[in-house]
Amino acid sequence: MSSLSTFSSKPNAKPPQKGSFPLDHDGECRDFMVRYMRCLMVNKKDTTQCRQESKDYLSCRMERNLMSREDWKKLGFHDEGGQTSEEA
Amino acid sequence: MVWIHAYGREIFSALKSSFQKCGGHANLHRWTNSIPPVMHKLSASQVAQIPIRHIQLFCVALPAPCSYSSSLKYASRILSRQTNCRHTLWQRQSAYKGLVLSSTKAFSTSHWLSAAQRNDLKSSNKTGLIYIIAIFIFMLGGAYAGVPLYKVFCQATGRGGQAVKGHDTSKIETMEKVERPIVVRFNADVASSMRWNFKPLQTEVTVYPGETALAFYTAKNPTDKPIIGISTYNILPYEAGQYFNKIQCFCFEEQRLNPHEQVDMPVFFYIDPEFDEDPYLQNVDSITLSYTFFEALDGLQLPLPGYHQPHNTPVVAAS
Repeated sequence: MSSLSTFSSKPNAKPPQKGSFPLDHDGECRDFMVRYMRCLMVNKKDTTQCRQESKDYLSCRMERNLMSREDWKKLGFHDEGGQTSEEA
Repeated sequence: MVWIHAYGREIFSALKSSFQKCGGHANLHRWTNSIPPVMHKLSASQVAQIPIRHIQLFCVALPAPCSYSSSLKYASRILSRQTNCRHTLWQRQSAYKGLVLSSTKAFSTSHWLSAAQRNDLKSSNKTGLIYIIAIFIFMLGGAYAGVPLYKVFCQATGRGGQAVKGHDTSKIETMEKVERPIVVRFNADVASSMRWNFKPLQTEVTVYPGETALAFYTAKNPTDKPIIGISTYNILPYEAGQYFNKIQCFCFEEQRLNPHEQVDMPVFFYIDPEFDEDPYLQNVDSITLSYTFFEALDGLQLPLPGYHQPHNTPVVAAS
């Protein structure tokens, strides 16, 4: 894929840990996506400020079965209480 | 063969050639049994017919220190009394026997190793050979043992990619945010024959290592036919690629877009906190994530390399 150096120990492109997102053909979570993008624009593209919006988007996906359910801790959202659910 | 010495070989061949001249004599079995094994190459008749002058030559040609000097003296006494070929059988036998015995002794003691030395040399040769065979077997065993040993080494140190299993999933829960802002730029490409419109929805975001982040791409199929795409990605700079972990994205899997359909494709990723400790990445504060979409051919089963593991995706109703 990318230019590999002579003695590369790890492959540069790794597969995603949880696999691939199923495509959101119906645009069900588009609103959340728009909200997230707006938040990014407001906060000068700093993702730290927009964690709640990204969490909303992911929970939208989980609800509509476009993503397997996970504990928020496993996805890196620690401090928020939010919705915790068992793994699919 | 006792007479390895070239000198002895010369004499021996001289003796042998002399037999062509005299005839055979049959009655020598008793005497020939006592001859050293090498001399058994000569038949009994041949031994009996060694002419005296050759035995004389033989006697002269012996090397200086002869341990059986008495037998040699005896032999030469007999020989000096004779001058012609027609010698009595007994005399000839004894002379020859004495000479052979003395010569073999002479060769064995002065020009060859004694029995004790020979044994020592043999045993030291044997131990040397045993050492060499042991080293060879050790190397061979090391080559075979290297495979499981390397696996153990990889699991312990985390190098070599696939050998570390289950390490990443627990990391997300425990990793800490590092206060080092990294700008992640997004780039989108399609293959030249791919007719999707594919672009990122944000040009860049600022993330911190240890914190998960979300980013979006969008793809549109402007044609009238459904197109299946499959994507791959690149990280630049190259050394940063090992720290860039994607929790979920849309790469390496076939994604089907119906005609005139547009979808948002999220990428959920984080940068490993160890990014901060890599000396090669000290001055790096910007990473580029570049996706490329290719068209997937229907029914084509590509043998993907070993790291493409099966994962759990929820069932999606086909649209």
